[in-house]
Amino acid sequence: MVQISSVFKLSLDPQTVKQWKRFRSIKRGYFSAVFLVFLLLLSCFAELLVNSRALIVSYDGKWYFPTYSWFISGDTFGLDYDWETNYRELKQHFKEQDEGNWVLMPLVPYDPFENDFSNTYGAERPSWETKHYLGTDTAGRDVLARLVYGFRIALGFSLVLLTCSYIAGIAIGCAMGYWGGAFDLVFQRLIEIWNTIPFLYVIMIVASVVVPNFWTLVIVMVLFGWTAMTWNMRTSTYKEKAREYVNAARALGSGNARVVGVHILPNTISVIVTFIPFSIAGGIAALTALDYLGFGLPPPTPSWGELLRKGTQSLDHPWIVWSVAIAIIVILLMVTFIGEAIREAFDPKKFTYYE
Amino acid sequence: MLIIPTFLGVTILVFLLTRIVPGGPLERWLQETALAGTEGLATQSSDYASQGGSTLSDEQIQEMAEYFGFDKNPLHSYVLWLGRLFVFDLGTSTKYNEPVWEIIRSRLPVSIFYGVATLILTYGVCIPLGIVKAIKHKTVFDNISSILVFTGYAIPSYVVAIALLTAFAAGFEWFPLSGFVSSNFHSLSLFDKVLDILHHAVLPLIAYVAGSFAFMTMLMKNSLMDNLAADYVRTAVAKGLHFRSAVFNHALRNSLIPIATSFGNNLSLIITGSFLIEMIFNINGFGLLGFDSLVDRDYPVVMGIVVISSLLFMIGNILSDICVAIVDPRVKFGADGSNQ
Repeated sequence: MVQISSVFKLSLDPQTVKQWKRFRSIKRGYFSAVFLVFLLLLSCFAELLVNSRALIVSYDGKWYFPTYSWFISGDTFGLDYDWETNYRELKQHFKEQDEGNWVLMPLVPYDPFENDFSNTYGAERPSWETKHYLGTDTAGRDVLARLVYGFRIALGFSLVLLTCSYIAGIAIGCAMGYWGGAFDLVFQRLIEIWNTIPFLYVIMIVASVVVPNFWTLVIVMVLFGWTAMTWNMRTSTYKEKAREYVNAARALGSGNARVVGVHILPNTISVIVTFIPFSIAGGIAALTALDYLGFGLPPPTPSWGELLRKGTQSLDHPWIVWSVAIAIIVILLMVTFIGEAIREAFDPKKFTYYE
Repeated sequence: MLIIPTFLGVTILVFLLTRIVPGGPLERWLQETALAGTEGLATQSSDYASQGGSTLSDEQIQEMAEYFGFDKNPLHSYVLWLGRLFVFDLGTSTKYNEPVWEIIRSRLPVSIFYGVATLILTYGVCIPLGIVKAIKHKTVFDNISSILVFTGYAIPSYVVAIALLTAFAAGFEWFPLSGFVSSNFHSLSLFDKVLDILHHAVLPLIAYVAGSFAFMTMLMKNSLMDNLAADYVRTAVAKGLHFRSAVFNHALRNSLIPIATSFGNNLSLIITGSFLIEMIFNINGFGLLGFDSLVDRDYPVVMGIVVISSLLFMIGNILSDICVAIVDPRVKFGADGSNQ
C-alpha cells in the first residue's frame, strides 16, 4: 500500500487512496478481486491450458509450437495423414517409437468442440486417467474445457454489455437529471413502458429473424439493460445538481457541458463504480439463463447455460450439473463479495451502536 | 394519475409487436395446414410440398386472418381489443381455443400459493433477522448470517433450483422431481393433500426465497441501525427506558417504513413469479404460462398476461402507499397530491 500511494501520489487524490485502503481492508472482497483478476488473466491464455493442440512438439530436433499457429498436418511428424495432427495420439506414437521425439500437452488436452467417444458412448464420468477431470457431457465434449471457454465468453460478454449499457445509461440519466422537467417526465414514462416489454419476447423475435450471435445478443440486451443505470444516474445527478458547487461553477460562467462533464460526473462516480460488480454478475446470470433456455449463443459455442441444460436433461450425469453449478456459484459469489466491499469502501456506514 | 398513459403505452407497444413479428398464429396455421396437406401426398416431389400452402384458396386465408383478427390494420384492432377489455373480455387463446381468462384463472391458485408463501417466508425471516443483526452488529452471528444471506443473493435463483433438484430430488430422492401435486392427489385425504402440496413445495420455495433474503434483511438492519443511532432512541435509553423496549416501541416502528415501501413491489412478484423456477420444477403457474404463450405465439394469452401483470404492478404501487400510511402516521392520503 505504501509503495502504491507513493508511486501514484501525483495522480491519485487522497479520497481515492482512502477508498482503496478501505477496500483492501475488507479481506473477503479484496481476495475475491485478486483471485478473479487472476482467473480473468488466466482465461485470456486458455489456449495454453486447455487445448487439444500440443504446447510444444519436438520432432527430428526441430521444435513446433502448434497452439497459436496455423494447423500442422499429420505428415509433418511422419504420420500417414495430411489433416490436422491429433496430438494426443502423436504423444502415444512418439512414446512407442522411443526415438527422442516428444510432445508436451496442455494441462487439459481437449478442446471444447471435439467429441471424444474413445472410452464410452455418451457422457463419461470424471477421471484422471482419460484426463477428463470433470468428465464429458452427453455429446462427449470435455466439461472442464467447456467451462473454461464458457467462462471467458460469459465474462467477456458481461464486460462488453456493461460498457455499452453504462455509456447509454449515464448519458441519458445525466440528461434526465440535469434538464429535468418535461424531458425527464417523458423519458420516465418511456422507461416504465419499456421495462414492461417482455425481454424474452424480443430475444425470440430476433432469434426467429437471424441466428443470434455474440453481437446481436449484446445489442438486444443493451436495448433493455440501459434503464437500470439511467435511473441511478438520474437520481444522483438530481442530487448533485442541487448542490452549491454547481451553482458556483455556473456563476463562473461554465456551460452545460462543462458543468456536467467536469463537475457533476466526477461526483457521481461512486454510484457508477458500486454498481459495476452487480452488473457483471447480472450479465453473466442473464447470458447463462438465455443459453439455458436455448435462446442464447448458437450451439457449438461453449457456454455454462448450455451445459446446465445438458445436465438437467439427463439427471443421471450429475457431474455435469455440479461442475457448472459450482463454477457459477463461486464466480458470482466472488463478484458479489467484491461489490459489497466496493460499496463499503465508497460509502462506509459507520453506525453508533450500543454495546 | 400517470398510471393510465403508462398502461396504454405498454399495451399498445406489445400489441403492435405481436402484429409486426413474423411467425404469428396465422403463419403457424398456414404451415400446419400445408404440412397436413402434404402428408396425404407423401409420394409427391418435395418441391411441391414446399408450395403446399398454395393449395389453400385466398378466401380461406382471408377467413383465417379474420378469425385471428389479423385482417384489420393494427391500430384498429387494438382499439377493438381495448374495447373488449373494458367488458372484461380478454379474447380466446389461439392455441387452446379457450377463453384467455379461463386459462389464466386455472393457473392462479398455484401462483398465488407460491407467491403468498414466498411473501410470508421472506417477511417472516427478514424482519426478525434484520432486527437481530442490527442489535448484534459486528458479532459473529452478524458476520456469518451476512455471508449466508449474500450467498443466497449472489446465486441466480434458477441455479439454486437446478442445484436443489439435482441434489435432493434426483440424488437423494427426498423430494419429488416436479409438479405441484402428485398424480394421485384426488384420492388423498385432506391431511395427506396438504402434506403432498408441502412436499412438492419445499424445493421451489427455497429457490424462490433464497435470493430475496439479502435485500430485505439488509434494508431492515440498516434502517434499524439508523434509527438506533438517532437522538430520540438515545434520549429514551437515557431517561431509563429498557433497551429492549426502546428498540421495539420506538425505533422499530420508524424503521419499518422502508420495508413497507417495498411491500407493494413484491405484490406483483406474487403472481408473475419466476418462470425459470416454474419451468425447472414443472409447476404450471403464471410464469410458465407466460413463457409458453410467448413460445407458441399465443397472442391473446400474451396480451392477457401483460394486462394482468401491469395492473398488478399499479395495484402494488397503490398498496405500497397504503402500507406506508399505516406505518407512518405523518403520511396522510390527499395531503401530498403527487404520485409515488
